[in-house]
Amino acid sequence: MENIVPLELMAAGEVGLVVQVNGSPDVVHRLAEMGLREQVRIMMVQPGRPCIVAVGDHRLSLRMDDEAEILVALTVTP
Amino acid sequence: MPLTVAIIGNPNTGKSTLFNALTGLQARVGNFPGVTVEKKIGRIKGTAEPIDLVDLPGTYSLSPRSLDEMVSVNVLLGRQTDVGKVDAVVCILDASNLERNFYLACQVLDLGLPTVIVLNMFDVATTRGAKIDISALSRKLGVQVVATSAHRKEGLDALKSAIAAAVPNGPGPRPHPFPEAFYAECHQLASKLAELGRSDAPSFLVERALLDVGGYLETEWLAGSDVAERWKTALIEARARLKEAGCRVPAVEAKARYAWAKQTLADVATAPAARAETLSDRVDRVLTHRFAGLLIFAVLMVVVFQAIFSWAQPLMDLCGAGQSAVSGFVASLISPGTLRSLLTDGVVAGVGGVLVFLPQIGMLFLFIALLEDCGYLARAAFLMDKVMSKFGLNGKSFVPLMTSHACAIPGIMATRVIEDRNARLATILVAPLMSCSARLPVYTLFISLFVSDAPLLGLRGARQGLTLFAMYALGIIAAALVAAVLRKTIFHGETPPFVMELPAYKWPSPWIVASRVWDRMMAFVTRAGTLIFAAAIVVWAGSFFPGDHSQEFEKQRFVEQTDVAQADPLKHRAMLEEALAKLNGRIAAQASANELERAEWQQKLAITEGGLAELNAALKPLDDARAEVNHLRASLVEQSFLGHLGHLIEPVVKPLGWDWKIGVGTLLSFPARELVVTNLGIIYGLGQDVDESNQQLWSAIREAKWPDGRPVYGVPVALSIMVFFSLCAQCAATLMTIRRETNSWRWPIVTFSYMTLLAYFAALVTYQVAIRL
Repeated sequence: MENIVPLELMAAGEVGLVVQVNGSPDVVHRLAEMGLREQVRIMMVQPGRPCIVAVGDHRLSLRMDDEAEILVALTVTP
Repeated sequence: MPLTVAIIGNPNTGKSTLFNALTGLQARVGNFPGVTVEKKIGRIKGTAEPIDLVDLPGTYSLSPRSLDEMVSVNVLLGRQTDVGKVDAVVCILDASNLERNFYLACQVLDLGLPTVIVLNMFDVATTRGAKIDISALSRKLGVQVVATSAHRKEGLDALKSAIAAAVPNGPGPRPHPFPEAFYAECHQLASKLAELGRSDAPSFLVERALLDVGGYLETEWLAGSDVAERWKTALIEARARLKEAGCRVPAVEAKARYAWAKQTLADVATAPAARAETLSDRVDRVLTHRFAGLLIFAVLMVVVFQAIFSWAQPLMDLCGAGQSAVSGFVASLISPGTLRSLLTDGVVAGVGGVLVFLPQIGMLFLFIALLEDCGYLARAAFLMDKVMSKFGLNGKSFVPLMTSHACAIPGIMATRVIEDRNARLATILVAPLMSCSARLPVYTLFISLFVSDAPLLGLRGARQGLTLFAMYALGIIAAALVAAVLRKTIFHGETPPFVMELPAYKWPSPWIVASRVWDRMMAFVTRAGTLIFAAAIVVWAGSFFPGDHSQEFEKQRFVEQTDVAQADPLKHRAMLEEALAKLNGRIAAQASANELERAEWQQKLAITEGGLAELNAALKPLDDARAEVNHLRASLVEQSFLGHLGHLIEPVVKPLGWDWKIGVGTLLSFPARELVVTNLGIIYGLGQDVDESNQQLWSAIREAKWPDGRPVYGVPVALSIMVFFSLCAQCAATLMTIRRETNSWRWPIVTFSYMTLLAYFAALVTYQVAIRL
């Protein structure tokens, strides 16, 4: 079963697939340009506000505003 | 005519290194007119035909959301008149991360220009297991693809010949990533634009207008004309129709371009496996740790500031000495008169006063360039975001505000990294509240005069140090409060989301650091120099005219001639004065000496004093003339335009505990805060070459009296002056920089008004509270 959580709830080291990026069109567009978009695997490097997320080789620091939200399907580690 | 080639790429793909390697550090650096984007153009070395390379800012996409971002697009489309037509474009990609970098490449290919795709850091990518078939990729894209490793200078010759061949080869095919419905809408919009009077719009701009919701092309392109609303409506309707057709704007762009990237890269490139935990991640576990990270950051900042102040000091002293030498040289060439006064009191004092800060500026930018190039600055912004977001700013405001502690001018220039317009303006408006190095002379003068150096908790000078710290803290607290108020009122808006890439750590490149420091220093010299030059002349004229200076000049000529004629007695007197001071010191220090020794000293003392009295009598005409020159100067200042102004404003500054002299001294320091020290010197009837350590100014200030005999100065007045200078906007160069950076007179006027009001009322409260304690 898929376990879908908002980005903020990911723990350090957890990996998942981005299923939805919500927020103002401008913010969503910018995130996509930087590689953070739906169907991309990400790893939480350091949780918090702001947090650090690994997207492929890149490390992005992120603090979303109230209307922005990233939903992630956690990959179950065996 | 040289060919013009633009170079564009994602941040951290080695674009600067490649640019420097191709052009050999001989770039012309300037600004694109009207915006804050740096224009950097260099001639490529060793090509048959001359080729100019235009460096465009690192970017993830070509979506113009602001005027600044529009510049890159305009350059590429040949619409930027000061660059001219761009013949070809070089798009630089990180070979290890092709998929994400292809998003920008796809947009660049959409421009329809001859293009060269550069896969940089190719050596790193192959070591990590990337497999890229360059010729197959080139066939698929229809443009040349070149692999380089710019830091090792590998692949540069291949790149040069590819650039030279790009123009005759012509543009490659456009990627055409969007569904047909999208292109149909663009076609309709283009005819709509022609209807609205814009028949020349390139298809690229029409596509961008449709894609960028609330972007520059939607809001500003036709702004001011009566068709703006119709254009906006047309865009909104087109987007609604596309949504119906299952093609949501702007989400469709990421979907379409990444799909194109995936399709293009399939079969020709295999990405290296993503690194689970890199060395950078391990370093980051310490440097971005919520406690250890902040602690290291704090220590680093203390070291940087200490270094700026102490290491730059010898160089600054050298600059100051150079300034005095130039002044003296001018004085030796021209006899006292209006021209000499203009040159020495106006130009040399005014312009030199600013150039003195050049070593500090260079030192500061050296640290910033080092921290930036190794990747630490992004971590500092990350750490500070927690604090900044509480005041409606974000982490990217940190670097500009830190820089402002040395000087607000580079600080304001550094706000360019903040995308959110409101957050950027708020940062610009509070940056001048940070206590910059020009406040130091003011703080130093009044603290050393009026704050006791008696020990506090057993530490001598602790009160003085604490007062200085309080002045710096006052600026920071005021900035935080003002930013919070601004973000709730005129720059209303959510605290902007903070998205920033943390580049992998690397060793800083000496060439990039050196060229950045050099560019910044030159920009500072030209910008501040031109304005300060003009302002210094205006202030000089205001305090020089309309008085009759003939008597002053005559006396001055007498003083200078006598100085030469009486050089020996003057030297002798100086020696005796020194000997006397030494003797007095010895007598005071050794009260327990025996009778015989003391008698011997008293005898020596009597001889020295006698000799001195004789010399003083002989030199009396000279001393009197000197005093009279100073007196004439002071009274001429009083009768000058600015002197009248001073009396006019006295009722305003009186509640702060100030007399007209402090008032006008403050007013005269409008071009630069530190001028107030010099101004007070002039006004108190002293010579003009007064600095904050000059004993005469100290005693003149201590002894200054109101007409009724009460002393003017005391701790409350000193505090009120310091508080005023900590918060005021007395710096024309900063205001001019704000104008340049915001491209409007509105923000410098707003900054000046709010800061002056804030400074005035804070000084008022300080004085009124302090006299009641």
